[in-house]
Amino acid sequence: MNIKHFEKLESTSSTAKEMAEQGVEPWTVIWADEQNAGHGKEGRDWHSSKGGLYFSVILPKSNIDDLQTITILAAFITAKVIKNNFSLEPFIKLPNDIWVNQKKVCGILTENVIGSDIKLSVIGIGLNTNIEKFSPQLENAATSIKIETGQEADNEKILKQIVEGLKEQLKTISQ
Amino acid sequence: MERGNGFKTMKTKIKIGEKYYQVDVSEINRDFLKVRVDDKDFFFKENEFQELIPVDEKELASGSEGWKTEAVLWDSRAGKEIKSPLTGTISGIDIKKGDKVKPGQKLMTLIAMKMENEIVAETAGVVKEIKAEAGKLVNSGDILVKLE
Repeated sequence: MNIKHFEKLESTSSTAKEMAEQGVEPWTVIWADEQNAGHGKEGRDWHSSKGGLYFSVILPKSNIDDLQTITILAAFITAKVIKNNFSLEPFIKLPNDIWVNQKKVCGILTENVIGSDIKLSVIGIGLNTNIEKFSPQLENAATSIKIETGQEADNEKILKQIVEGLKEQLKTISQ
Repeated sequence: MERGNGFKTMKTKIKIGEKYYQVDVSEINRDFLKVRVDDKDFFFKENEFQELIPVDEKELASGSEGWKTEAVLWDSRAGKEIKSPLTGTISGIDIKKGDKVKPGQKLMTLIAMKMENEIVAETAGVVKEIKAEAGKLVNSGDILVKLE
């Protein structure tokens, strides 16, 4: 698995898009321990402090209809990884959020660049793994694996399980 | 004669009286020609005597021969009319009328199925008309931007 690991990035998806434009091969994973400008839909901030798992995957070129299923598939795969590793009962708020105990634990955003065909696609996943505490503004809305279980997650292991799951499920859209 | 995007095209200006007209002739496939005079499109096909005859309105409306789809694709490939690839909502527009755009430049963002889609220009041009509006729904195939 081709993983490019950074201590800190503005946004893993922005870096992934730049790399895809430069011709970096599909399935390359951009992983950062922290993001300064992690974002969700419509540029909304995604809290990205140290301890969480933040990564983006450059997807193979696909047709637009297939891309619509990616976020949903990614949510199912990530929820399954959470359930299998931490015995939690995640709830998928379709199509792109995962909640545990009525608080958000994971957000997923697929971003495409489209001209007369699809130029590139990147899926970004932010999973609150080892975050011990959220700010007062977020603590009622967000949670983490560590808060819920007291367990420390192995971020690299979780990342690899999610990406392997994505690869397996998305074979049908590969070039 | 240009051969862009796999199609033969010819562009010229003609003057009738005091008025100039922009005329673009495109060979859509072996049998069909599209002639655009300013903004209006006229289609011609070859008959059995290999003479060019206009395609009538009924035939144009039915699109039964598949050439109509090719004509739409031609516009899309040539990048003069940028169409929505999906039904969704325009969340932001990054250009204004009269802007010069480069190939690959971001024009607007379309949110569909919770995906963010950057719509980019395929070719260089000047923004002639922006049909989409921020916050409004667009259907797949709707024209978003016209370039010239």
